[in-house]
Amino acid sequence: MVMNPIVAKALEEGRYKLLEHESFELLRQYNIPVPDFALVQDVNEALKVVKDIGYPVALKVVSPDIIHKSDVGGVILNINNDELRSACERIRINIREKAPYARVSGFLLQRMVPEGLETIVGATKDPIFGHVIAFGLGGVMVEVLQDVSFRIVPVTEEDARAMIREIKGYRLFNGYRNMPVRDEEAVVYIITRFSELLSENPNIVEADLNPVIVLERGKGAYAADARFIIGTA
Amino acid sequence: MEAQSQVQQSKSIESQLVITSPLDLLFNPRSVAIIGATPRENSVGGVITKNLLTKFKGKVYLVNPKYDEVNGVKYYKSILDVQDEVDSAVIVVPAPTVPKVVDECIRKGVKVAIIISGGLSEVGEEGAKLENELRRIVQNRIRVLGPNCIGVYNAFNGLDTFFLPEDRMGRPKPGPVALISNSGAVAGAILDWAARRNIGVGLAVNYGNKLDINEAELLEYFARDSRVRVIVMYMEGLKYPGEGRKLLDVMREVVSIKPIVVYKAGRTKAASGAVRSHTAALAGNYEIYKPMLRQAGVIEADNLTDAFDMAKALATQPLPRGNRVLIITDSGGMGIQSVDALDMRGLQVPELSESLQEILRKQLPPLAVTRNPIDLTGSATDAMYKFVLDTVLPTSYVDMALIIALMQIPGLTINLSNYIVEARRFNKPIVVVSFGGNEYVAKFENHLEENGIPVYHAPHRAAKALWALYEYAKIKGVVRGW
Repeated sequence: MVMNPIVAKALEEGRYKLLEHESFELLRQYNIPVPDFALVQDVNEALKVVKDIGYPVALKVVSPDIIHKSDVGGVILNINNDELRSACERIRINIREKAPYARVSGFLLQRMVPEGLETIVGATKDPIFGHVIAFGLGGVMVEVLQDVSFRIVPVTEEDARAMIREIKGYRLFNGYRNMPVRDEEAVVYIITRFSELLSENPNIVEADLNPVIVLERGKGAYAADARFIIGTA
Repeated sequence: MEAQSQVQQSKSIESQLVITSPLDLLFNPRSVAIIGATPRENSVGGVITKNLLTKFKGKVYLVNPKYDEVNGVKYYKSILDVQDEVDSAVIVVPAPTVPKVVDECIRKGVKVAIIISGGLSEVGEEGAKLENELRRIVQNRIRVLGPNCIGVYNAFNGLDTFFLPEDRMGRPKPGPVALISNSGAVAGAILDWAARRNIGVGLAVNYGNKLDINEAELLEYFARDSRVRVIVMYMEGLKYPGEGRKLLDVMREVVSIKPIVVYKAGRTKAASGAVRSHTAALAGNYEIYKPMLRQAGVIEADNLTDAFDMAKALATQPLPRGNRVLIITDSGGMGIQSVDALDMRGLQVPELSESLQEILRKQLPPLAVTRNPIDLTGSATDAMYKFVLDTVLPTSYVDMALIIALMQIPGLTINLSNYIVEARRFNKPIVVVSFGGNEYVAKFENHLEENGIPVYHAPHRAAKALWALYEYAKIKGVVRGW
């Protein structure tokens, strides 16, 4: 199997994680829906590119040294018209304070995904079973309640549907209280595409699509953030 | 003499017809050599020697340079001295001699070696070296079960390498359950337990250190062996990189042919040094086995008793077309417990239609409850059970039956078991809950089990068995609307 150029490049450069824009590029190659994005170097470029992407946007620091961007103040969401310049500045200050030695490759400018049900699609690589995909609801549901379901790659559509319906929080997909019914099939699609991505990229040892935002039925679901850890498997 | 050899010939032809797997000779060899055979009764080699000499329906050759002849049975110095063809060798020699002996087996043209001997990779570095040497010698030139295993039990042909004396470990009768056990000691205990309960475990195997033959291959073999109707697996953990994926694929194929019930105990060590954050941390080892079993379509048991409870039903009952259960009871309390247990597993106890209840009311005493559970109360008789079974079970309102018969009441006799067995003609699953201690109860239960109706001593166990049938029916795609 030929190694994906994005993964190959990272390994060549001695990196164990993909940069933000690389992660999104990889997802795009597998037709996993991601919001429009661009890598920019500075404020001026950001202000130019945002005209194509459109407000509101999210701005995220891109660095080979930072894994949890929001922990160091490297993420600002819901930026509107006249706030972009100051957002860039604020992230620079945050990074200088909290991760002074991190190399900064630029900023990821990303169209905001509308509000929806936040879910997580993750993966790990087990020595005996190979890639294992996890699915759960975002926030405390995964971490505190461990309301997660797992399947071994390759995951079929049927498997994906079962793993979504298996979690206790599944009721939230069916329009709990005033919330709309969610686009479950869009998540099934993302999980199966993600499964294929993993099958074809054995070097991925860990991955998180977090959050995957699920809109109401018929409107799809988007991976709003992604993280890939690679190794020389 | 001639007649005997003819019998043997027709037997071997039969096994050739039934089985076409490469593991055929592991379970159905025509001839077996015991290397390390001994007349010393209380030793490992001694028990195996006695087992095979007295029970195995095939040729047995004893190999041990220490003996020439004991009780009129010849001992060979080496397997190379045996003139005839030898299909399989059971090896019970000290670990350091194993490589040499296996090499001789290969030169002799033996197809399968069951290496009982321990003291290899399971005991540390020295043993691991020996096992590697063994691996180099083996290299696809002979198939190996073990080392460090208890081997094979085949109730059909008397091949029995379980080195536990008969007075310590009962041997189950030939039957439709096959057992694959990760642990030799557990396998021995299970067979003893099954023998005592008259459960037909016809074939059992333990693979020890798994140098060659593994779970996946054993499953494939059992899938093809027509004597096996359900496979029970006792699993602790897998060992080699990538084999989980392979096992999942094989399980998926096998369950399309026959059911697999797995009890997974213990956890393998997480790979050391692996960096595991977030998702990885949540995917603890057991968390991977569970979905793997679900994905494969196997039925997971909570413990060994549970596994055999379900296996009993899967081996004897037809599959239900839906999840609706008819309960007939002579105890309201047991009826309620059964409803709870069934409901917890997603099975339904539907209220019967008014017209059907009307028919029942006409024949049953006024105190009887006809909604479902059908409570015949303490004045129940054999005939009432028969009447309800014959009236309700064939209708399209129910898919299976759970019959509670507390035999302590005077109106019930052993004849009830005949009525229940006759209801098999409706081709719907039937399980029975019986509870008590007197001999009459035991007779009732035995008669049912001997005629293919599984009996359970508690409602939740019977409910679990029905659940297993329903789960497998879904996997097989025979349930309405699936």
